[in-house]
Amino acid sequence: MGTDVAELFIVVTVIAVALIFDYTNGFHDSANAMAGPIATGAIRPRTAVILGAFLNLVGACLSTAVAKTISGGFFDDQLITASIILAGLVGAIVWNLMTWLFGLPSSSSHALFGGLIGAVIVGAGIASVHGWVIVSKVLLPAIVAPLVAGVAAAWATRLAYRITRRTPSVHTGTGFKYGQAFTSSMVALAHGTSDGQKTMGVITLVLIAANLQAAGTGPQMWVIMISALAIGLGTYSGGWRIMRAMGKGIVEIETPQGAASGAATSATILASAHLGFGLSTTHVSTGSILGSGVGRGAEVRWSVARRMVFAWLLTLPGAALVGGLAALLADQGVWGISALLVLLAGTCLGIYFLSRRNKITHANVTDSHQVLVLAAAAPTTVYPDDPRLEALPKPKKKKKKAKKPKLKSAA
Amino acid sequence: MHVDWAALAIVAVVSIAASVIFTILLAGGIRLVSAAKIKSNEGGSGTATVSLGYLLIGIAALLVLFGIYLIVPQFH
Repeated sequence: MGTDVAELFIVVTVIAVALIFDYTNGFHDSANAMAGPIATGAIRPRTAVILGAFLNLVGACLSTAVAKTISGGFFDDQLITASIILAGLVGAIVWNLMTWLFGLPSSSSHALFGGLIGAVIVGAGIASVHGWVIVSKVLLPAIVAPLVAGVAAAWATRLAYRITRRTPSVHTGTGFKYGQAFTSSMVALAHGTSDGQKTMGVITLVLIAANLQAAGTGPQMWVIMISALAIGLGTYSGGWRIMRAMGKGIVEIETPQGAASGAATSATILASAHLGFGLSTTHVSTGSILGSGVGRGAEVRWSVARRMVFAWLLTLPGAALVGGLAALLADQGVWGISALLVLLAGTCLGIYFLSRRNKITHANVTDSHQVLVLAAAAPTTVYPDDPRLEALPKPKKKKKKAKKPKLKSAA
Repeated sequence: MHVDWAALAIVAVVSIAASVIFTILLAGGIRLVSAAKIKSNEGGSGTATVSLGYLLIGIAALLVLFGIYLIVPQFH
């Protein structure tokens, strides 16, 4: 009797945490599709996230073929237990929120894999992880995705400007904006079909493991519905910090350039999904925007781009670290899991309050190119491109302590 | 270590080709339609130009439809 209750507790916890991950997945990746059209004004910010959320929801409902494995080949599927999944999800959520706080578009899939890998290492040792898969599925694509999408976007942008060189801008605006709106919508739909599955897969796996669902069956209707709803809500909430970083932070996006980068993003995502070399949507979108800036000959903020690439490379080990620590707690049974949940809630709240010090919303998303975290009190002309990503958590603690009393006294 | 270099090359070529083709169609269509508008404002007839322009935009729209076909698993 006692074990049944404990088991049910774990199942319910994993489902709840999986839905939270799904939500962070939605708002983290909202910018992949919609940062471009919001930056150029092709779609208004509110309309863009509503459209993105709707298409994500539809996409998530469309994808019936849920991946059988969530290990991604990084380790043996047999090692997966409910507590490892829980720890992996916690690692992915914390990493997603951290990178969101700093306006860094990192891959949610890599965060999930990283969290799971960390949990597996804690449970079964480092030898159980296939190191070469990490190289071929994470490191190499992280270099390839921005290169391919970037070259595609650069050429497309150059051609778009060359062809419409003599066309008055009154006439080019509308056409390119339509082009951008359609390509962005395709990215949002494709995102729903690919990422909506991840959470459904996780929940289904846990239900099967707990004998609440027959083995070999697909996700149940309510699982599809709540997963689709969670990712749609996440997309609707906008993730405005990442939206600004991608749409304004890397380079100023003009309308023809936005259309070309949108075309490059959707072409590369579809090609990689259907021709067998998986690339991250986030990396592709970032690469397209970067490449389109180069193609136009615009001033690209390479320091921002470099920071994003660092974040990509750190995503897997970073999430693995959090996932590993979470696994230490999750393995301790009900009290450990309860403690883990409290810690997770505390971290989420802490990051949320930190983000409020320099709030970015649909109303001010295109006003600036900076995503400030700590410099909230400083004048906005200070651009924090000097802190290396590795050093970022340290100044956060210092400044937080130093500035909190000030805030309180001011309030 | 196994990396599917052939798949990588195909993805790269197809991505670049598709982006470039879509952009040429869209930009070309916009340019022709605009040229036709300017011509008719000046009193000339831009019917041929405008039809060609919309044809190019139409082909670009077909590419979008093909993309949606690829995305929705129920279609294939």
